[in-house]
Amino acid sequence: MLRLLQRQPAITPETPDEALVRRAQQNESAAFKALFERHVVAVRRFLRDLLRQGDLADDATQETFARAHAQLVKLTDHDRFKPWVLGIARNVAFEARRVRQHDVLDDEDDGTPTAVIPSPDPERVLLDAELEKHFTEAIGTLSANRRAALLMRLDHGLAYEDIAAAFGWSIPTVKNEIHRARLKLRAHLLPHLTGERP
Amino acid sequence: MSRCGRTAHLEAVAMGEASPATSAELRAHAKQCVLCRHELNWLESESTMFRQRAGRDEVAQLWKGVAQRSGLETPRAWPRVLVAMAAAAVLVLVVGRVAPRSVSLATDTNRQEEEALESSMLSSPAFLFFQEDEPCSKLPSGVGFQCSPVVPASFLASR
Repeated sequence: MLRLLQRQPAITPETPDEALVRRAQQNESAAFKALFERHVVAVRRFLRDLLRQGDLADDATQETFARAHAQLVKLTDHDRFKPWVLGIARNVAFEARRVRQHDVLDDEDDGTPTAVIPSPDPERVLLDAELEKHFTEAIGTLSANRRAALLMRLDHGLAYEDIAAAFGWSIPTVKNEIHRARLKLRAHLLPHLTGERP
Repeated sequence: MSRCGRTAHLEAVAMGEASPATSAELRAHAKQCVLCRHELNWLESESTMFRQRAGRDEVAQLWKGVAQRSGLETPRAWPRVLVAMAAAAVLVLVVGRVAPRSVSLATDTNRQEEEALESSMLSSPAFLFFQEDEPCSKLPSGVGFQCSPVVPASFLASR
């Protein structure tokens, strides 16, 4: 076993996810821990945004990675660990929410604004504590699925294809949901960014 | 929100996914197109806010819980008593492997010395003096024997 470990190259920040996933699939716990350390911040932030409670997010993060470890052999696209683990996180969050039973999963009447919303100057956007509070509140107003899709795209940079795979949606549906989420988010943020009402 | 056909491509610009040439072209277009300018402003503002928020995240110490749930728990450092016991066991094993050899060596040496000594004693005239069968007679008192030492002729000749 020692000889086996010695043959593996050292894990560095440059070691790609793909290599870490392959090594973790061969029961190298250091490789799985490296994957955890690389993605735990994003996964926890994603879960905090979905669950809106820090302690629940901590527990859900641990559960997410425990499930990821148990199911890692099933991950055949070795370079897609992040979308895969965020998909697991979404399931964990939705299960936790079902237990809590006080969140809307999907929007029926989403009240999406249809008019053109005046835009802020991106050069002058500074997320101070006050704006961050409104930003988090605005994210929280979105339905759970729409919020998850928006966060996967905007916060975690996932491709539409990955989000569609995680949700079991078509790509046009993903695009539509994210677009609507964006409009709602903007309507909530506008007064705090420009001092104007939409 | 926007009817300009190029708005849909602006997201790739804001997310840094478009090529430099495409980015430059779309940014130039957005300067002329109000709808695209609005959209690009929003997209870049959103990206800025998400990026700033992500930069403030703290890494929680969550590995322990994951390791426990997954059976990946890092082995705890051994208590000092166990370490001392293990060291003692190793020492005993090492000594055990070396010591019997040294003891046997010492035994061999002693045996050789003993054999040499025994041999010299056996060949000693004094010993031979006592080794010879000699007639013993009862003492006059009737208690005990008296033996007359017999000096071998060879010994006398050597003198």
